[in-house]
Amino acid sequence: MSSADKTILSVKNVKKHFPIKEGVFQKVVGQVHAVDGVNFDIKEGETVGLVGESGCGKTTIGRCVAGLEALTEGNIYFDLPSDKIALLEDSEKQDDKKVSAEQIEEIGNSYDIGKIEGDLFNHYRRNCQMVFQDSFASLSPRQLVSDIVSRPLRVHNVCPENEVIPRTINLLEQVGLGAQHLYRFPHQFSGGQRQRISIARALALDPKLIVLDEPTSALDVSVQAQILNLLHDLQKKRGLAYLFITHNLSVIRHMADKIVVMYLGKVVEAGNTEDIFANPQHPYTKALLAASPDLQSEVTSGMAALDGAIPDPARPPQGCSFRTRCPVAQPECGWEVDDVVRRLEHKDSIFNFLKEVDQSDAFNAKFTFETEAAANQLMAAMKSDDIPDAMKKMVSKLNCDAEHVTVSFKPAKTVPLIACGNGSSARCVLVNK
Amino acid sequence: MTQDSRTNSIVINGLNDSAFKVRLNRNLEIIQSVLANPTTVIGLVIVILMLMMALLAPVITEPNMPDPYQMPRDWQAARSAPLTPGHVLGTTNRGGDVYYGVVWGARTSLKLSLIVVCLTVVLGVTIGSIAGIVGGKVDEVLMRIVDVFLSIPELIFALAIAAILGPSFTNIILALVVVFWVKYARIMRAQVIRIKQRDYVDAARIMGDSKIQIYLKDILPNSFSPVMVQATLDMGNIVLVGATLSFIGLSEAGIAEWGVLVSEGQAGISAGRWWASTFPGLMVFLWALAFNLVGDGLRDVLDPRTETKR
Repeated sequence: MSSADKTILSVKNVKKHFPIKEGVFQKVVGQVHAVDGVNFDIKEGETVGLVGESGCGKTTIGRCVAGLEALTEGNIYFDLPSDKIALLEDSEKQDDKKVSAEQIEEIGNSYDIGKIEGDLFNHYRRNCQMVFQDSFASLSPRQLVSDIVSRPLRVHNVCPENEVIPRTINLLEQVGLGAQHLYRFPHQFSGGQRQRISIARALALDPKLIVLDEPTSALDVSVQAQILNLLHDLQKKRGLAYLFITHNLSVIRHMADKIVVMYLGKVVEAGNTEDIFANPQHPYTKALLAASPDLQSEVTSGMAALDGAIPDPARPPQGCSFRTRCPVAQPECGWEVDDVVRRLEHKDSIFNFLKEVDQSDAFNAKFTFETEAAANQLMAAMKSDDIPDAMKKMVSKLNCDAEHVTVSFKPAKTVPLIACGNGSSARCVLVNK
Repeated sequence: MTQDSRTNSIVINGLNDSAFKVRLNRNLEIIQSVLANPTTVIGLVIVILMLMMALLAPVITEPNMPDPYQMPRDWQAARSAPLTPGHVLGTTNRGGDVYYGVVWGARTSLKLSLIVVCLTVVLGVTIGSIAGIVGGKVDEVLMRIVDVFLSIPELIFALAIAAILGPSFTNIILALVVVFWVKYARIMRAQVIRIKQRDYVDAARIMGDSKIQIYLKDILPNSFSPVMVQATLDMGNIVLVGATLSFIGLSEAGIAEWGVLVSEGQAGISAGRWWASTFPGLMVFLWALAFNLVGDGLRDVLDPRTETKR
């Protein structure tokens, strides 16, 4: 499908943290790490699928790409020429000092969507559009379809006023609607039709890239197929690139050329769709595939569905962020004090008599209990089967001094994305072992 | 080429026509559902009668020159009962014609409520929009100011301001504006915050429309219906509070205003001259009731919670 292998969008180390504010003075008390260092490229005419549970940051990425959110860190480059890509890649290699900071800044000022202004930014606006999940909320209830679909044409003065309506009709026809639908309000349409109107609006400026944020999740299954086929046809006709965000694996398999699997704001696995479906590397990807009923027969590993919820993104786990739910967690995954609490908080009465916790960092903590018995209970629990062996191996210090319990873990580093040989990459200590 | 562009323009003109029709139909639909409620219809009929009375006042009664808003005084016929020739509804202690006061009082009330509603809506919507859109500290400061205003009971607050400013009709308008704008600021702020998170606002941002256009095309039209409901209710409330202030004597003495008239007539009530206070009092009651009925009917139709169902 990728006719020309030209990269049109490069997402580089993107982070988006949302401040948590409290009190009358709106003091910032923490950060939600919605997106925490994400990299991927989109080539001309290809579909990149972004999958993950709700709350993993996939929608935030989509909003960042569409220019709705200012990035906390990182860059999103649009339509970067190949020599500039090479330059950026050189600069990423620390040992290579050939690329100066000025050069990087110059690239940023003309291609980074967070930095470009004026005409350059308008150019990006015209080339990147978005279709939202909720077709009710994405069309203004007080505007006619003609106003909604023709608005981008008018905003960018694409054509003289007398051509606006014919072009709008043409756009509606491209999405399977017609002139008879021009002068109706959105509430007079079905969900599928409203999504078609959204797509027509996104097509109005003839973009190269469309961010599709769960475009079919709110639709009936039969209508889903129609919309997916429409998107497919439009891509073929116009050479569109899609960033397809969804939690539906069968949809992504049908649509995407490449898949990026996200978990807790990080990419855990990325690669070609067929490779990932045939041979998933990361335990999370395996679990996702296993949990998708209509795909089960093709997944070799017989893993059960995942337990538990995603950890609080305001305090993401160190090391591998998936280890709290991972069935094959290893010592190297990086265990920390929070894991002790996560594992034991559902056990009866262990933390009932907890007085205070003195936590110097993620790996060291001193629990103070009201009674010695409670402290001993924690000590016993730390040695019991409730704590996985992999975690026990990383405990560097476990002391009980009357009602104080000191727990220390060996510090761990964040697990990097590792190439798996077949072109995909995964963020897991087990890869290539 | 000419053939093409001609057919195009015909098509466009034809379709523009139907855009107008669709909008008209939608408005008619809304009016229809408003009229489906019998109590609203009763309110609407009273409102229309009141408005006609106000607008046609110079036709219904001979204007009192030079200032028609001043009650005419017929000292010879003071304290006459209703149905006296020349004084259908009787006269007050001081010879004011009650019929004239009732009719021109409607005009005064309309003037009062329209001026106050227009000023408060503009003020409240502006401040509420700024708070909702800018957010952060600006929002915090503006809303604390609004809280201060809201913490004082409407009537007492208006009374205090009008008393400080001194008795005059203009000062009553000022006092009512100061009291009534806060509700609109609150409503508008809540609406703007709700609407600005909608996907269609994001879609407009993505297509690159300017902030002013997004406010005018997306946020304002979709936030406005609760403001309209409140404005209709306030058309009644303002006359009620305004009449109260005039009754206490914070308006200019002797003007054709229902509150002034009630106050002028109250001295005679114990002596059995009920008419001078009853008729203008009834008018205040009907006016406030009618606008409240219409406002409630509008709320049922325009309420944001039922908006998506339509």
